[in-house]
Amino acid sequence: MSAVLDFPVKPEARPYLEGFGRTNSGEPEWLSRERQRALIRFAELGFPSRRSENWRYLDLQPLQREPLLPGKSRRDVQVPAELQMDGACARLILIDGHCHGAVFRDLPQGVWLASMRQAIEERPDLVRAASCGEVDAEHPFDALNAAYFADGFVLDVAPGVVLNQPLQIIHFASASGAVHTRNVIRLGEGSRATILETYAGEGRYWRNDVLAVRLGARAELTRAVLVEEAGEAVHLAELDATLGTEARFSGFALLIGGGTVRHEASVRMTGEGAQCRLDGAFVVGDNEEANILTNVDHQVPHGETREMIKGVAAGRAHGAFQGKIIVREHAQKVDAHQLSRNLILGPRAVIDTKPELEIYADDVKCSHGASVGELDETALFYLRSRGIPDAEARHMLVEGFLREPVEEIADPALRELLLRRLARRLERLEG
Amino acid sequence: MMLEIKNLHARLADGREILKGVDLSVGDGEVHAIMGPNGSGKSTLAAVLAGRDGYEVTEGSVTYRDRDLFAMAADERAREGVFLAFQYPVEIPGVNNMYFLRAALNAQRRHRGEPELDAGQFLRVVRQKLKLLDMADDLLQRAVNVGFSGGEKKRNEVFQMAVLEPRLAILDETDSGLDIDALRVVARGVNGLRTPDRSIVLITHYKRLLDYIEPDHVHVLQDGRIVQSGGKELAAELERRGYGTFAEQPEVAASA
Repeated sequence: MSAVLDFPVKPEARPYLEGFGRTNSGEPEWLSRERQRALIRFAELGFPSRRSENWRYLDLQPLQREPLLPGKSRRDVQVPAELQMDGACARLILIDGHCHGAVFRDLPQGVWLASMRQAIEERPDLVRAASCGEVDAEHPFDALNAAYFADGFVLDVAPGVVLNQPLQIIHFASASGAVHTRNVIRLGEGSRATILETYAGEGRYWRNDVLAVRLGARAELTRAVLVEEAGEAVHLAELDATLGTEARFSGFALLIGGGTVRHEASVRMTGEGAQCRLDGAFVVGDNEEANILTNVDHQVPHGETREMIKGVAAGRAHGAFQGKIIVREHAQKVDAHQLSRNLILGPRAVIDTKPELEIYADDVKCSHGASVGELDETALFYLRSRGIPDAEARHMLVEGFLREPVEEIADPALRELLLRRLARRLERLEG
Repeated sequence: MMLEIKNLHARLADGREILKGVDLSVGDGEVHAIMGPNGSGKSTLAAVLAGRDGYEVTEGSVTYRDRDLFAMAADERAREGVFLAFQYPVEIPGVNNMYFLRAALNAQRRHRGEPELDAGQFLRVVRQKLKLLDMADDLLQRAVNVGFSGGEKKRNEVFQMAVLEPRLAILDETDSGLDIDALRVVARGVNGLRTPDRSIVLITHYKRLLDYIEPDHVHVLQDGRIVQSGGKELAAELERRGYGTFAEQPEVAASA
């Protein structure tokens, strides 16, 4: 960067301006320009204020005080075998934001899965689909990501191709520093795929992950996210999806690890009759923080949205759900339902929930429900009256509470894996 | 002696006294019926014996197989062989019936120092008990009581009792809300569990249940006390004459 800046810069963005430009040499001209543009945008925006509606429930102060730039990737990293999903038809592993190879077992013709770096060389059209465009003030880290991303993955499925087994992407972090990954999933007309993205790591790092999903007409994507980051990690992830005519997107997020975790899913229905499910659950204990944000924009008629988000907080942890559903003026006959249910364990845990419906059309079916409560004492007594010790009974009720959204997942292997990981997380949750 | 209740007084958290000196002895292998009008304290007695929160015992004692019942927490009582069939069985979404019941049985077995049963062993145990209660296999795979009809819930209670094989079973209005066919099935289940070392306390408002499960003793509970005890013929007399004749203070009979 030149020393003389002709645009306003937020003080907390300065280290990111100064640290920029040491890598990514030899990239195509258009990408360099894109990075520059995004960097300037981040410099103008800086970190989100807690007065910002989208960020009011998350404390980013520690990150703001101590800037994290991309660190050196270790060479000797072993990704724990337990993170691998059995029966995946392909697996791509990213370590500290760089692709460390992919394994293809049984991938049909018409499926293109590769690293973002490879896509930049071979499929710039796909990369451009993930261009961050005009970033608004609510998404400053999208701009930072567009400037800094080192790698990521790109999945392109040709029209009509059906993947019967899930794909898996493992995002593993081992370095201390920032990990910016940028990813794209594009499904052609009538194609179908299921993908699991697992996020894990060790040490103290900041992950900033952006995924663009583009679904063609009648395409069907199930995307499950398993966040099991290290205890000191910051995990910020954004999903930006557009759904074509009668496309179906089932998004699921299970947030069960990481010091500060934020999962944001934005879905735009651009084709009539599209359907979207956004389900998820978070479990926080100790001093952990987790936020799930959903933002569904019905721009056209006959869309359907179903959301079921469950949260459990113990210790001094804090969880939050913010869900917005917008139904535009001409988007008649939309059917949308949102449910946020939360369980507080212990007197010092906190959960905020903020459902929001913005409806401008007059012929729609929209509803939402939200609750925050404690364990049901009647149910607890019922279990204890059968001889089940108190701690085990509480554990069973919490697990039962959280299983509901996971059980919506159609793929049996994926569902079982998530239920297993969830059960394991609950074993170390304080009462 | 299976159960010895002496001068039991208990009140609700709001201070209302519900049990006002209950005395009752239940011997091994005996079936006792406790009858009484609504509000007489029948369900409170069951809840206090099972160890439900929200009741305070202010006087008296309960000895279960020579141990102080109140010295044990609710779950420990259950592991020691006390079972309560709920008047209103609780729905527990997300908790699979089989998983729940295996956890319960294994908690008991651990308590007795016996090895736990794995899923396969457990399934063999429950299969035969399902037949006893005329219950479909798929009930095991459903969440506990969720989406069960009233009759299915009551049958599920007796099914749990069959699997857990308690020493002392307290059935709180298990007949309420059952049609005659369901009542027969439930009664057959309970009768199948009568053994010389298992005692059963039936709490009921109506004589109907006692036509199918024949008690050794019948007691009338009224205003927190047992006001009369007798053989099974007492139930018939109650049916004929109503509870009013036994009342010391008839006006309390109608309170909920």
